Amino acid sequence: MPATAVPHSKTLAADRFRSFAPVLVLVALVVLVGVLRPSFFNPESLLVTVADTATLFILAAGTTFVVILGSIDLSIQAICSLASVVVALLLPRYGYFGCLAALAAGLLAGITSGILHVWLRIPSFIVTLATSGLVVAAALLLSQERSIVIDEHGRLLLSCITDRSLGVPNVIWIAAAVAVVGAWTQRYTPFGRYSIAIGAGEAATWASGVRVNRHKVIAFACSGVLAALAGVLLAARQSSGSPTLANELLLPAIAAVIVGGTAITGGAGGIGRTVVGALIITIVRVGMTFIGINIFAQQIVFGLVLIAAVALTIDRTKIVIVK
Amino acid sequence: MASSNPTSLPERLKPFAPLFALVILSVLIGLRNPRFFEVNNFIRVANAASIPLVLALGATSVILLGSVDLSVEGVVALGAVVVAVLVRNDQNHNAFGWWGPLAAVAVGALIGFLNGLVHVGLRIPSFMVTLGSWFIGVGLATLVLGGTSVRVLDPAIRSLALTRFWNCPLAVWVALSALIVAWFIERFTTLGRHTFAVGGGEDLALLSGIAVRQTKLAVFTLAGAFYGVGGVLAAAQLGQGNATIGDGRLFSTITSVVVGGTALTGGAGGTLNTLVGVLIIAVIGNGMILLGISPDVQSAVQGLIIIVAVACSTDRQRLRFAK
Repeated sequence: MPATAVPHSKTLAADRFRSFAPVLVLVALVVLVGVLRPSFFNPESLLVTVADTATLFILAAGTTFVVILGSIDLSIQAICSLASVVVALLLPRYGYFGCLAALAAGLLAGITSGILHVWLRIPSFIVTLATSGLVVAAALLLSQERSIVIDEHGRLLLSCITDRSLGVPNVIWIAAAVAVVGAWTQRYTPFGRYSIAIGAGEAATWASGVRVNRHKVIAFACSGVLAALAGVLLAARQSSGSPTLANELLLPAIAAVIVGGTAITGGAGGIGRTVVGALIITIVRVGMTFIGINIFAQQIVFGLVLIAAVALTIDRTKIVIVK
Repeated sequence: MASSNPTSLPERLKPFAPLFALVILSVLIGLRNPRFFEVNNFIRVANAASIPLVLALGATSVILLGSVDLSVEGVVALGAVVVAVLVRNDQNHNAFGWWGPLAAVAVGALIGFLNGLVHVGLRIPSFMVTLGSWFIGVGLATLVLGGTSVRVLDPAIRSLALTRFWNCPLAVWVALSALIVAWFIERFTTLGRHTFAVGGGEDLALLSGIAVRQTKLAVFTLAGAFYGVGGVLAAAQLGQGNATIGDGRLFSTITSVVVGGTALTGGAGGTLNTLVGVLIIAVIGNGMILLGISPDVQSAVQGLIIIVAVACSTDRQRLRFAK
């Protein structure tokens, strides 16, 4: 549905809210956790927290490309797990080609989702649910349903991920690179700008001569590759790959995107906001663990956070009928 | 069923396509392995289809609205855990007998009601609300048990899976009763007719004076109750309750509904379609065992089926964009 006339000041206020609220929430949370546990503020502990955010952020960054279109990708956790399996299997024999193969697998899965979505005009949530079925089967078959431990030699190869440079864990550098390249792509490339346009009003964008389908496929491809990259990092950090490695990450990743202020209705948001969103999710997790909330109960909190964030960020002018 | 007046033969046969698919599949599998046609094998298929049928009936009513419910796995897990801890079990001294299943169904209905309330009240897309409540349900189930599993010792509950009536486990009869209830509601009650009206065109339904919000609330509540029944049957079948008992059920549920010919856009399809859809998935699962195909491939097969089924049932003339 195209956006109908809305008072300018109202959208502006809503936009400002979406931009600043997450940052304020993040600052408040950091202060809160810091007050409860002053040791949180020592540089080492902060670095560890940020490093723990890296995988989640990369997963969420890929999803951001899709959410900005107004679509959704429910296959990221499956792709992430598959990538970890591929890396763990191929690393001993083929070295870094294993990592490339994992990324290629993610790319393939993303492109498949994208092409099926635009060609058959199937809603993205159902296409990606189906793709995740294919990906899960591939991961189960390749791994024979077990988790694969990465040996000494493999760990040595992956030390470029687990080591530190200039005192900062390399995963943070990688995540920062993803953030910069992603933000640049969304801001300065035709693909990035058209993605926002598609999310804001697909019919108008299509009518302006934009190749909507192509940009959609690229967005799903980005999501697939970044999910695979997250899988490689996860495998490196845990020294193993497994077909269920990332099962718990789907909800936090989507929550990170939405909490950061990217609306699921599309057209507003970006990777920069997802950085904030991912940090919020991590700090909430750290805080909950510290207060002593059962690790199992944390999914409940993330579920509630997700619903609340959607309720706050959704652009109701764009959906006349909510299904 | 759609109320248009199809005139050409192919148009008139289209609603029966899933039924033809079921027959052809059965014949093909039977030709490869004649044991498929043994009575015992049919009972095996019926047994395997009983829980999926109950779950899919709940999901059907939501999908008929044009909405979607992703909370299946969470509600099933919570329902199974609730019934397991309330009846005689190996963890506490409860022995509430048939109050256990009743409580599980009530909890399911409550979650469904809350899904509907948040969806209707806050005007958030149903897939986002139910994505949240999926994880909330799993989180609650894990929290109740602290990550362990509880064994069901109550013979009455176990009898649902073990006792046979006319050669079929009681679970099959429970599923058939659920089918009749769902079919009756769909055919002979205002709620059923209004569900189709809302799914067929929500704006028109609203203008015709149909209480759209109440209809949605009732349907989501009913769906939750069906998942609750599914949870009870799952606990009876496995003889235990745990938080992972629902894993993988969302995917097969949605596949069944869609394969049966109920359109994701809402307003077309129904419980009998879903019966056929569930049987198709159950026959495929059974056939894969008979033909010696690895069960790991199952999710891939379901993924392909879901894409084909949605692609076939989507009216692409009417739908220019899919999100």
